[in-house]
Amino acid sequence: MSDADRPDDQPNGPATTTRRRALMIGAGAGAAVLSIRPALAQTAGSVLACEIPVPDPGRAGSFIAPDGSTVPAGTQGAFAPPGRAFKGEEVKRALAGSQLPGTSMESNRAYVNYIRRLQRGQGGFTCFASLQMPRA
Amino acid sequence: MIYRAPPADALLAEPIDAFTAVYHRPSGQTHLLVEPAPEILDALGRDGLTLAKLRAALAERYDLTEADDLAERLEELVAAGLVSAA
Amino acid sequence: MKVRVGPASFRVGSAWSQPLAQLRALYADYPPGDSVPDFTVRLEPTRPWRRWVRPSVAIAGDYMLPEAAPLPLAHALLAAEMAMNLQVALGWRRHLLLHAAAVEKDGRALVMTGESGAGKSTLAAMLMRRGWRLLGDEFALVDLHNGSLHPFPRPISLKNDSIAALAGEGRWGPELVGTPKGTIRHLVPDALALAGMNRQAMPAMLLFPRYGFAPATRAVPASEAFVRLTAASTNYANLGEPGFRALTRLVREVPTVAVDYPDGASALAMVDEIWG
Repeated sequence: MSDADRPDDQPNGPATTTRRRALMIGAGAGAAVLSIRPALAQTAGSVLACEIPVPDPGRAGSFIAPDGSTVPAGTQGAFAPPGRAFKGEEVKRALAGSQLPGTSMESNRAYVNYIRRLQRGQGGFTCFASLQMPRA
Repeated sequence: MIYRAPPADALLAEPIDAFTAVYHRPSGQTHLLVEPAPEILDALGRDGLTLAKLRAALAERYDLTEADDLAERLEELVAAGLVSAA
Repeated sequence: MKVRVGPASFRVGSAWSQPLAQLRALYADYPPGDSVPDFTVRLEPTRPWRRWVRPSVAIAGDYMLPEAAPLPLAHALLAAEMAMNLQVALGWRRHLLLHAAAVEKDGRALVMTGESGAGKSTLAAMLMRRGWRLLGDEFALVDLHNGSLHPFPRPISLKNDSIAALAGEGRWGPELVGTPKGTIRHLVPDALALAGMNRQAMPAMLLFPRYGFAPATRAVPASEAFVRLTAASTNYANLGEPGFRALTRLVREVPTVAVDYPDGASALAMVDEIWG
């Protein structure tokens, strides 16, 4: 990216003298690489304080099937909504293997599957997406 | 350990005063580089160099100061995903 | 109701009629929205019975970011404005977005960046009163190809003391007391701003204002401006390469100044001085 070689050409002379510029390898004022972090995490404020409703308000009242899809209330084998939104922190832990608060093993699996299937535009999607970011 | 820079078309670089802003296409990430990072990337190229060969290549082009810190500078580039170490 | 602001069109639906009436009044001088809007926002009750009992407004839209708390019905107008901001912040890809106010004079634009509460809205409103054309108080839209600014003049959100400072002429929204950010009132951009909402302007200076400090002016190196603006952009990371090109071009071609000011009057004087 920068080439500081400046050969001195001597007429009739075979040799070229190169004056090299100095290159500081030491840390000086800090690291030589500053990586820009995505701004979405900043827009969300504290990402871990964001919430994911299950299901989203557009489907309020639906039950959650074990595979995470939403089904009519009362469907056999499906679970009633948890009655509260989950915090980003709680979902992050659940994705890593622990259980969402106030759930049984089966209802936890259903809710987590629902969250994993969130699409852009559904309530909680942006919160879920920011949980996946490396520096959330 | 061979250190390699990304292929030429993987990086967009724009000088901004004493720094170089770099966009790494494969990751979509942006970094701000300052001496000696751009010079290191330049010297490594696609084929890559060992730490010792890199130091020699830089010493040929430049008068180096605090050259013992070269490993540290390389690690910063590796951590940022701009240099691969294999 | 539907409304167009600059390049973006919105549709706002609501479970209650009062917020829609307030929005129609606020946007009375704006062009009507398109039949197919860019963004849809809905004001919904947090639970079905909260439509009537202690009415509580939740925002829903194409793009969502869960809010800390829903708002009471009296602040539904604020909820709608915040929701529209959110849609743009998360979903707009046709320009590089900066959290910034922008005003134009003689074909050149001044861009003032800052967090919510940094005073950029108040400063923008004051400059508007002094004859500058307001391009926007919340977002600066930077063209990805040529670096010009597209106006996006939404109602200016003024808080607490700024409301009294700007009191007077213009169309105002209702006073909203007791919101999470205190008292808020919206001031509709003037005729000059609305008439010019599709007339772009080239940025001539970037400003980093800081309110509440002794007066000071400092030239900011382009590299520092670059890093600070990546943090001030809601869509820089999503845009990828075009965002990188647009932002590097901006900081290389437009000088940046940091200004500390103790009050509005000082700010205006300092702007006059550095604008030249």
